[in-house]
Amino acid sequence: MLWNNRSASQTAAEYMKSIIRRYFGPGVVLIVFLAGWYALAYGLENNFSPASGTPMIIPPPHRLFEDIYGITRTKILIAFWISLKTSLVGLTLATSIGLVLGIVMAQARWLERALWPYLIALQVTPIIAIVPLMIKLVGSNFAARVLVTVIISIFPIISNTLFGLHSTPKNMHDLFTLQRSGPLARLLKLQLPAASPAIFGGLRISAGLAVIGAIVGDFFFAKGDPGLGKLITQFFLNSQAGPMFVTALAATLLGLMLFILFGLLNKRIVGRWYEGAISQ
Amino acid sequence: MNSTTPEHHAHRSGTPSISADGICLSFPDSTEVLRNISIEIGDHEFVSVVGPSGCGKSTLLRVLSGLQKPTSGQLNTPSNDVGFVFQDPTLLPWRTALRNVETLLELRGVNATDRRELAFNALSSVGLADSANKYPRQLSGGMKMRVSLARSLVTQPKLFLFDEPFAAVDEFAREQLNDDLLALFASAKFSAVFVTHSISEAVYLSQRVIIMSARPASIAHIIEIPFDYPRSPEIRYQPDFAKCCGTIARHLRQLQNI
Repeated sequence: MLWNNRSASQTAAEYMKSIIRRYFGPGVVLIVFLAGWYALAYGLENNFSPASGTPMIIPPPHRLFEDIYGITRTKILIAFWISLKTSLVGLTLATSIGLVLGIVMAQARWLERALWPYLIALQVTPIIAIVPLMIKLVGSNFAARVLVTVIISIFPIISNTLFGLHSTPKNMHDLFTLQRSGPLARLLKLQLPAASPAIFGGLRISAGLAVIGAIVGDFFFAKGDPGLGKLITQFFLNSQAGPMFVTALAATLLGLMLFILFGLLNKRIVGRWYEGAISQ
Repeated sequence: MNSTTPEHHAHRSGTPSISADGICLSFPDSTEVLRNISIEIGDHEFVSVVGPSGCGKSTLLRVLSGLQKPTSGQLNTPSNDVGFVFQDPTLLPWRTALRNVETLLELRGVNATDRRELAFNALSSVGLADSANKYPRQLSGGMKMRVSLARSLVTQPKLFLFDEPFAAVDEFAREQLNDDLLALFASAKFSAVFVTHSISEAVYLSQRVIIMSARPASIAHIIEIPFDYPRSPEIRYQPDFAKCCGTIARHLRQLQNI
């Protein structure tokens, strides 16, 4: 009996230990982060308006939400919804185009060599350099913001698809060669499934980039309803530090949501069989 | 592929299932891998191939399977009915055991109901009916190899090529797999070419053991194994068995000293 009790309390202790091990690190970082934030908020000169006492540059964490009600709250919610739409439409397009390009490039070395430099160029070109061109071509509206999202988020999908398709083990190819399989059967039944963990890895990175794309797009293309990026600019120009920071937090939340969504999708589709599955 | 009638190699039982005549292979960088290899393997004959490491045994199998074209020589194989068991199980990790066994039938266009039934029977014949819905990562090394065997078995190949299939499993599992393979050989009536590093495995399984020389590989010796099928595990401890192993080991030592 005594022995049993002890073993039960031991497992409870083990459980507590595993909880502590899991949350200790993130907890410490959070405390350090908040402490730094408070130090900045109260250490900076002229952070608070002498007249009203409202924060001008950076609100301390507990005063973040004090101006978030009524029209301001509605604005943030609508902007969140619009940015969500822009990132999802952009990400869907980036995924479709990226997959097709990756598959096409995997078919022949010369195609890969021919397209690769231009994809890298697209990846590193500052968006601002092509803003006038894009205004001329698609205007300054939703379509332009989606295009920016696609440009910013497409690269990881192409490169991971290509890498995944190339890394199918040689023996598996031999297996299909012995059955005289054509390129289509090989692609659908061998290469794409084998590449799916890499493709999902790319998708997860691209999901985060799509949110950045949607917000950057807002900065340059202002027609139509404002997304989070445009709203941040507005609050900035009105010196509304609190709402500006909350809007930035909303953008973080949006990125996190998409990242987790694709993590879960990956777990459902690839996690069943893939041995090297990345843990959440 | 031309059929040849070589004069200097009497075939074993019935018509030859496979014959190779004067097979030579050099890689593009002009390393010579295979030199003038002629073998003939009868219907339902089991032949093993041993030789120094890296001599080109696996390459010979790739040539026999049609995966690798020889530089010269004539080959006669039942090209549509070749089963190939690779050194590692080569299972598709995203498919369950059953779906892995179905793969080759699927590629040949067999309909879903038929191929599921055939695959399940093949999986049962290697003792894995219970694991049909498991993914490869949930199976042990020996079990994966059995799935790999079942996958080739299901296409009912006339010629079965084995590239050191049991090298990675432990001794105990290996002896079990050897007995299972002989049982399959007795019931499924294929011809087999089995590449191995283990002399006793070669002797235990086959009717003839081909000893290859170091690179460029040619056939150095052919040893006849006098035991009848079915073979029981006890023959491993008989003096005649030891004598066969000893002869092969001696030949291999001499080849390595050259």
